[in-house]
Amino acid sequence: MTDLAAADVAAESTQVAPKLVRMREFGVGKASTASISILTALILISAWWGASALHVVPHLFLPTPREVWSAAQSVYEDGYANASLWEHVSASLARILIAAAIAVGLGVPIGLIMGLSRWAKGVFDAPIEFYWPLPPLSYLPLMIIWLGIGEASKITLLTLAMFAPVALSAQAGVRSVTQERVNAALSLGATRLQLMREVVFPSALPEILTGVRIALGVGWGTLVAAELIAATRGIGYLIMSASQFLATDVVFVGIGIIAACAFAFSFAMRTLERWLAPWKGQS
Amino acid sequence: MLRVDNASVFFAARDGRPVHALDRVSLDIPDRGFVVALGTSGCGKSTLLNAMAGFLPLSSGSITLNGHHVSGPGAERGVVFQKDSLLPWRSVVENVALGLKFAGLGRKERRDRAFELLRLVGLQDFADAAPYELSGGMRQRVGIARALAPDPAILLMDEPFGALDSMTREQMQELLVDVWARTGKRIFFITHSIEEALFLGTHLIVMSPRPGRIVARYDLGFVETFARDRDARAIKTSPDFSSLREEVRAVVHQFEPARSNEI
Repeated sequence: MTDLAAADVAAESTQVAPKLVRMREFGVGKASTASISILTALILISAWWGASALHVVPHLFLPTPREVWSAAQSVYEDGYANASLWEHVSASLARILIAAAIAVGLGVPIGLIMGLSRWAKGVFDAPIEFYWPLPPLSYLPLMIIWLGIGEASKITLLTLAMFAPVALSAQAGVRSVTQERVNAALSLGATRLQLMREVVFPSALPEILTGVRIALGVGWGTLVAAELIAATRGIGYLIMSASQFLATDVVFVGIGIIAACAFAFSFAMRTLERWLAPWKGQS
Repeated sequence: MLRVDNASVFFAARDGRPVHALDRVSLDIPDRGFVVALGTSGCGKSTLLNAMAGFLPLSSGSITLNGHHVSGPGAERGVVFQKDSLLPWRSVVENVALGLKFAGLGRKERRDRAFELLRLVGLQDFADAAPYELSGGMRQRVGIARALAPDPAILLMDEPFGALDSMTREQMQELLVDVWARTGKRIFFITHSIEEALFLGTHLIVMSPRPGRIVARYDLGFVETFARDRDARAIKTSPDFSSLREEVRAVVHQFEPARSNEI
């Protein structure tokens, strides 16, 4: 052993805890922000409680957290506006899920064909580019005139609102397939159909899932707004009825339910992405 | 026999003018032949490989494999790409078995044959790993096994070791010689490393740019010596190897495009 090595051993044996270092980071970096977020939430809730309990704002505008909680219990137990809580929630969920199923069922194949065929892209681009930037509520009156006040008009509206982001993301997904991957499959003897199934569709899948996530976000916004205008069931209708009676606490309950549903949907989509496309961002 | 006969390729430049990428190239790749194409970037060697693979039609001339005209990509010509093009949603063994799946083989048969090929490239212990969990050299080995799976008549390799570090690269060269010696496949191999070209090929073509054409041909024997004696160091330091290396280097530099004057 050389003298240098011996000196190293001696230094190590003094048992000083080493100073841990890492590369300087730009921006937020990898440290968790959960504790800060929880603290922020607690401060906001206590600010709400303080403002309502001390009557900083009129009671009509801002009920206390306790009142909202008891309103939630009473809505849960007795229902509201001629229907139970579950009937309202399930009416909304059914609308958005049926519309999402139709939008995905039509949007994914049409988007894939748009990415593959010049003709299909030319044909579908014009109508999609025309109606996609429109706020869905602007053509809701038309839907009601054409399809009546029932479920058909709301589901059609939602389907239209969700179709475009799904189709456009499927198209973008096909475009993201690298020529090299396609060439590799062709030189392994893939037929057109095998190429689609084994290479094109899986390559496009992460983008399609992102599109579905965006579509669900758009869908919730459209759904609640549509229910505010034309419905006899649903979370939007619940909020609308409560506001007509100035039942601010019930309005808060409705908003809370929408938040919970939207969060559950986005959580489900993240889980689905991890399950269906675990390679995303890996290569 | 893969025969390239008077192959020319013109691309359209951005302004629409034709660019002469390949100029009347003729080339035979015999049974068990290991043909290496050497040249600077832009000399048309990748264009030639893409035409052999069927990814690119020729402007004039023809390419035939055992008498059959090459008119598109097909499983009888395996391709190993510069950047591995493995499918990240498939495991290593499934990637290797992809060509067998396309050919309609059953699951069990595919897996057995893919395992055999993974053993050939020394990756049998990584069969169920995901491609992105492997190092660059290992991924290229998967790429070689995958290209071999449909039992092609020729292996086309487009700078497959270009992105690897020099130590991994030497290991991969020796592995490729083993694969070549054991399977007896024809190989067409592109590189811009003179040493790699001399070490691997039974035949060497040197190409020059604008227009891409073959400017020199050599018959080589180093790879057969290595397959027999397995001493890469001795070959690469031998006087024969060194003098040929200098000779080829002179040829390559002779046809290098003039610097600075162009801009």
